[in-house]
Amino acid sequence: MSWDTIIINPFTNVLLLIYKMIGGNFGIAIILFTILIRLITHPLMASQIKSSTKMTEFQQSKQWQDIQKKYKDDKEKLAQEQMSLYKELGISPFASCLPSIIQIPIIFALYQSIMRSLAATPGQLMILTRSIYPFLHLSDLAPLNSKFLWMNLGQPERVYMLGVGIPVLAVIVAITTYVQSKVTMPASANPNDQGAMMNKMMVLYMPLLLGYFALTFASGLSIYFITGNLVGIAQYALLGKVNWRALLPGQKPATNALARKK
Amino acid sequence: MKTKYFILIGVVLILGIVLSGCASGLTASSWPGVTADANNAYVAGGPYVYAVNLQTGAEAWRYPAKAATSTPFYATPILTPDGQLIVSSFDHKLYSLDPRTGAEKWRFEQAKDRWIGGALVTSDSIYAPNADYNLYALSLAGTPKWVAPFQADQAIWGSPVTDGTNVYFGTLGRHVYAVNAQTGKQTWVQTVIGAVIGSPVLGADNTLYVGTYGGVLVSLNTNNGEILKQEKTSSWIWSGPAQDGTNVYVGDANGMFYAFPMIGSGQPWTQQLNGAIVGSPLVSGTTIIAGTEAGNVYFMDNTGKNVRPVAVAGKIYASPAVATTSAGPLILVAPTSGNNLLVALGLNGATQWSFTPAK
Repeated sequence: MSWDTIIINPFTNVLLLIYKMIGGNFGIAIILFTILIRLITHPLMASQIKSSTKMTEFQQSKQWQDIQKKYKDDKEKLAQEQMSLYKELGISPFASCLPSIIQIPIIFALYQSIMRSLAATPGQLMILTRSIYPFLHLSDLAPLNSKFLWMNLGQPERVYMLGVGIPVLAVIVAITTYVQSKVTMPASANPNDQGAMMNKMMVLYMPLLLGYFALTFASGLSIYFITGNLVGIAQYALLGKVNWRALLPGQKPATNALARKK
Repeated sequence: MKTKYFILIGVVLILGIVLSGCASGLTASSWPGVTADANNAYVAGGPYVYAVNLQTGAEAWRYPAKAATSTPFYATPILTPDGQLIVSSFDHKLYSLDPRTGAEKWRFEQAKDRWIGGALVTSDSIYAPNADYNLYALSLAGTPKWVAPFQADQAIWGSPVTDGTNVYFGTLGRHVYAVNAQTGKQTWVQTVIGAVIGSPVLGADNTLYVGTYGGVLVSLNTNNGEILKQEKTSSWIWSGPAQDGTNVYVGDANGMFYAFPMIGSGQPWTQQLNGAIVGSPLVSGTTIIAGTEAGNVYFMDNTGKNVRPVAVAGKIYASPAVATTSAGPLILVAPTSGNNLLVALGLNGATQWSFTPAK
């Protein structure tokens, strides 16, 4: 059983089924499919947010800060105290990472199924055709109509004005990634600690990285990135974890209320 | 905490590498195209176009001198009557080469997408289909012939055909077009069941035959596009059919090979071959030749009898080509994922030579 058989083919067939059901618009199919996958993986994301919040609260707690001061010259003792505090408060240090790690293959599969469906060359079309389950009778749908709004979803997107190609989608990808990172960034009591610094770097670099992908690769991928970002913000908002104030200039992420109480 | 953030950075890096790797997989995936003149076989074989001496099977030249990963050649090269070799690339450019030396004569750079199908060449024009939905008409000097290229509804992957009045081609958008060869204006358009990937073939009595991804061989009236007949096949048809004036020959993905009588003639027959038939069949006299994905080249009489399979290492997706030499016809087969880029067979199926490019 290969990665293709277990993951990519089922994803591709669901994507094509959506494409068929909505009358052959692949852009809308990508949007709906991304939302569907995000909804299915929502419990994982909620669990991750919950664990991250617990961890942030722990880091901001007076008890932990006191311990840090007390054992600042004894790393071993500090680690022991940290572990016993984790145990006492019911925190698992990996609980916030694990849901993310589980989501990674799903994100890859989502991406690969979109790319496979776009099939821009004979070899890719051959692979796509053979990925389609016969009982779905979708072979007559392939190849897909890759036009969506002004875009060819199988090609990098540009809007030409006075002969200059402007990468509109890449800009939107970068902006939505920045907004998502900014408004969902966890609060930190000490903006100079390593975690907070790293978060700041991610807020800067992730939009650049995804913007570069959007600039270079098929625009179907950009539709997926934008939808994923917007749905991500909506998921955080549903859980009451969006900090819109973080977008205002000069605003620091809100310190967690629970931590302040401690 | 440090560990957690190192994991995060690692994840971002892996994401970058994997996404880059997956996306770059989009760029080049097809199979070689082959043609021949009296001296050489010409193979568009990925990074290079090769000229291979028909007598010896040795490389005569290759183009370009240095391969670039962004410039893969797969579309079947086409010879013009005034001594040019037209090759087209996934890099959106169409090149004219000197078939004797491989020297570049001119290039056409106005297309916006890949050239998947080979061009059609007439005595004074080149009709080149592109994945950017356009059919480009050029003079033999490479200058645009029409006011603007003809824009179809979807990508055009198959080579067009002409009867001198119109140029006919199919699109991935499930349409067949007839476009006036001189003006580039649409004469008619017809919707068919399934995408048209391969090239149509013209028959007698104003009939055009088109194989479709919907598993149908469609016969159309060239005057008005009216559908005259639809023959169902057991699976999808990739490439265009071939005809010998009596039957139209086409293979499907299940390995079923069909001879459908042309309008008013011929006897139907079928043969189950081993492996999907992707390339167009080749008609050489009374012999019909077809390659399969399982790596067999089948030689059949035009009655469907005397089927002789010849095993060739690799998968055969490309349409075979025929070269006429002093020793008789050579059948040129370009396997994919085998050791050889080109294999020359006699009509009896015996291997005459094989060509593997030097690195």
